[in-house]
Amino acid sequence: MRSPQQVATISSRISRVTAMLMLFLIATDVVAQTPEFEIEIREHLFYPSELRIPAGQKIKLIIRNLDATPEEFESYELNREKVIVGNSQGIVFIGPLKAGEYPFFGEFNPKTAQGKVIVE
Amino acid sequence: MRATILVLQFVGLSGMSTMLFADNPVHHNGVSKVYEPYVLPLERELELRTYYQTDDDPNESDILRQRIGYGASINEKVFAELYLNAMKLPGGSLRLESYELEGRIQLTEQGEYPADWGLLIELERERSESISELATAILVSRQWGDWIGTLNVGVEYEFGSDVDNEFETFLSAQWRLRYRESLEPGVEFYADEYTRGVGPVLTGLIRGQGNRKWHWETGVILPLNATTPDVTYRLLVEFEF
Repeated sequence: MRSPQQVATISSRISRVTAMLMLFLIATDVVAQTPEFEIEIREHLFYPSELRIPAGQKIKLIIRNLDATPEEFESYELNREKVIVGNSQGIVFIGPLKAGEYPFFGEFNPKTAQGKVIVE
Repeated sequence: MRATILVLQFVGLSGMSTMLFADNPVHHNGVSKVYEPYVLPLERELELRTYYQTDDDPNESDILRQRIGYGASINEKVFAELYLNAMKLPGGSLRLESYELEGRIQLTEQGEYPADWGLLIELERERSESISELATAILVSRQWGDWIGTLNVGVEYEFGSDVDNEFETFLSAQWRLRYRESLEPGVEFYADEYTRGVGPVLTGLIRGQGNRKWHWETGVILPLNATTPDVTYRLLVEFEF
């Protein structure tokens, strides 16, 4: 069994960790209004295959998979991967990003399902 | 940067409390893995982790730990994995030590909030002794440009007839550069009741056919206190399919 002093120390450490987590959260930014964009997956292709979004702003990308088979939206450049089961939709938050081109692909059909996000 | 300062403050403060718990239990090593708070549906994986430690105390040197796991996502937010944990002591052979069931829950969508949040729950049962551990941890990750900071903070309850029932806290953190998909260098820090360790790590991803991927991590963790082994080498390989 722990002594009262040890219990107090553990309690103090839990409080410290909790405070640290709260500070970590407070240190982050405030969520702003997020514009929405859509991409469809049909016959293992992305429509549109090029998506233009504003620089310096977070966006909400709704990906609708109209195929019966699953697809994975994947992009190392965007630091996102999202599996979308057949006949369903998934949401991916992107950005804020600097201007440029960020390729993405469908991991289950990488030869056909390709596209890019153009940030401008 | 602010999060890094907070972690460093924790290191300093918790270092003082270590003095109250100077007796390291035999063969204890808190170096593990830093978990990210993400789950993908339809994902299955086989995992092998190896830890090898050396120390100037011969009883704490040349110790090998291996951990084999199979995991699968239950849905788009929950991933479950079953592990077998084995250990080889100096001059001995590798022996199965414990079984472990682990659940990882993704709490927020990646990028939706300033930080991404998840929850880890673990239940471990020793094979030859009446010792069990129930642990839970908050998983937090945030991206700053090409850098990713990940923090795991948890509480563990150890119970059974062969151990004093007690709560313990643990923390692990990783600061990683997204250099390229196949190679991401970083630094990891581990802290628990007895362990304070920090060191460089390399991680990466190698793609196979279709959705098959090999994820690997390796690192060298060095001690920040007297109750952490002199060197802990760690290697992790995950085959995702």
